[in-house]
Amino acid sequence: MNIHINTPEGTRDRLFSECLERRRVQSALVELFRRRGYTEVITPEVEFYDLFVQSGNPIPQEAMLKIIDRSGRIMVMRPDCTAPIARVAATKLKHLPLPQRLYYDQTVFRDRLAHAGGSREMAQCGVEMIGAVGEKADLEMVALAVDALRCCGLEQFHIELGHAGFYRALAGRMRMPGEEQERLRSAIEGKNFALLNDLLEPYRDGDAYAALRRLPYLFGGPEVLDEAEGLAGPCESLDYLRRLYGELAAAGCGDCVRFDLGLVHQLDYYTGVVFRGYAQGAGAPVLSGGRYDGLMEQFGRKAEATGFAVDVDAVGGCLTVETPKLETVIHYGPGLLARALAEVDGRPAGSCELSPCRTLDSTLSLAREKGAARVLVLEAEEARWLTV
Amino acid sequence: MSGRLRIALTKGRLQDKSVELFEGAGLDCAPVRSPGRRLIHALPNYPLDVVLAKAPDVITYVEHGVCDLGVVGKDTILEKGGAFYEVLDLGFGRCRFALAVKKGSDFYGTYKTRRVASKYPNVTRAFFEGKGMDVDIIKIEGSVELAPILDLADGIVDIVETGATLKENGLEPIEDVAQVSARLIVNTASMKLYKNEITDFLTRIERELEART
Repeated sequence: MNIHINTPEGTRDRLFSECLERRRVQSALVELFRRRGYTEVITPEVEFYDLFVQSGNPIPQEAMLKIIDRSGRIMVMRPDCTAPIARVAATKLKHLPLPQRLYYDQTVFRDRLAHAGGSREMAQCGVEMIGAVGEKADLEMVALAVDALRCCGLEQFHIELGHAGFYRALAGRMRMPGEEQERLRSAIEGKNFALLNDLLEPYRDGDAYAALRRLPYLFGGPEVLDEAEGLAGPCESLDYLRRLYGELAAAGCGDCVRFDLGLVHQLDYYTGVVFRGYAQGAGAPVLSGGRYDGLMEQFGRKAEATGFAVDVDAVGGCLTVETPKLETVIHYGPGLLARALAEVDGRPAGSCELSPCRTLDSTLSLAREKGAARVLVLEAEEARWLTV
Repeated sequence: MSGRLRIALTKGRLQDKSVELFEGAGLDCAPVRSPGRRLIHALPNYPLDVVLAKAPDVITYVEHGVCDLGVVGKDTILEKGGAFYEVLDLGFGRCRFALAVKKGSDFYGTYKTRRVASKYPNVTRAFFEGKGMDVDIIKIEGSVELAPILDLADGIVDIVETGATLKENGLEPIEDVAQVSARLIVNTASMKLYKNEITDFLTRIERELEART
């Protein structure tokens, strides 16, 4: 039989420091989420394909890893955690009082193009707050996003806020056919200034022309809200973001919060505040989320929802984690197991291990091979140190 | 990042034009003009490091964030796609994608499935999908003009500049597929993390582009 000794493309064995990175981020996030009142949900790794189509969550069909089960039904390896959790909240949890705060710490799977360097497995850790709407709910969520990146130990990061309503309001003022509106949206999302100018050219007299044309540039500190208002006139979503910023600044998060009014991705899905987290050292957002009040209804329960997911390994990659170094090997005589274990347990994890060897000579050569500096010899009534 | 941005330029003609443009904007590009064996060139009077790469690699470097910016042709962007900001049309490297067929042949006048050869299968697929047409696409690596001559394909989708090569081989362009020119692209995270640095660079380049027109 031909045994594959390599892992499939896009998957990998994670060893040592990569595990430590992932676990450090996961445990910091889980600890934070639990402290803020979130409880854990674990959903299946395999779900029905329909779930992710029905949810209106725009994961392209080709990005889902599919399996056909024995009865011929199409299943997918979970490509996202939000839809399964919405399903749970709309069904099994429907009698619990709102709001419900749920968190997950799971792997999601996405199929990728070959040789593009992306991973098919991604560790995601995130939250969903179901059944809470308005300023305080959004405020809590954004503050949690800030604290999530902070508690992982990132030094330079920020959370960027946008609002699905701002673009909608602007686009609504232009008399533009639907297809063209979609091209406009995608030009703004990709900050494709050249294409945006061409698309807007026929609409020079339009009410929102100036604001739309400038939209891709409207990112940065709170001053962009003023600039946007100057271009678009008073606007509910801008006022809303400004109020959020005021509260966040008063809570000490002001330095970590910025804006991108051109954040117009997945507009069919997001209904209010959207946000993304950026960290120095990561070439893509490490956190993303927002408000999707329409999602739960797809599963038969009317309830607002907001949440975000952290790309655990992307955050882990920005951290410096040191793998512990073996320093001490313990050689112990008969009847001394308890003492030997107490010695191991009293030292930092990974810095000390027991020798399985019968003779001291073998223990010494083992210690030499593993690069340990010292051997602790435990005998009947005494302990002595040998330098390797 | 040590306060310096990194840009990937597409080797060859786009590189020369980019260097001209940057120099027009006041950046001293002497290290790029005489590259020697070095692969990264630090500009002496502006915090920018230049890397030279093949077109698709420019996109790869920018997408992964190892380069903050890149100059690459729209042809490569259309073919390869990817997640980045496409912020400026640099105006040079202008040409077009066109559908070309043997002179006098009627490409559309049949219900038979057409066969199209191209170095750009994705661009070709998107073009015919937009028309709701099923076509067989054959990927050719070298001189695509050969495919219709050898009767491998009914037409080709390729970059056309003057049309001279087509004419010499008895082909003619019958329809434009897309316009192409060099674009300045930016990594999405870099744009947010180094807003001031990138805005300064973009402003200089934009000013130079305006001065040229």
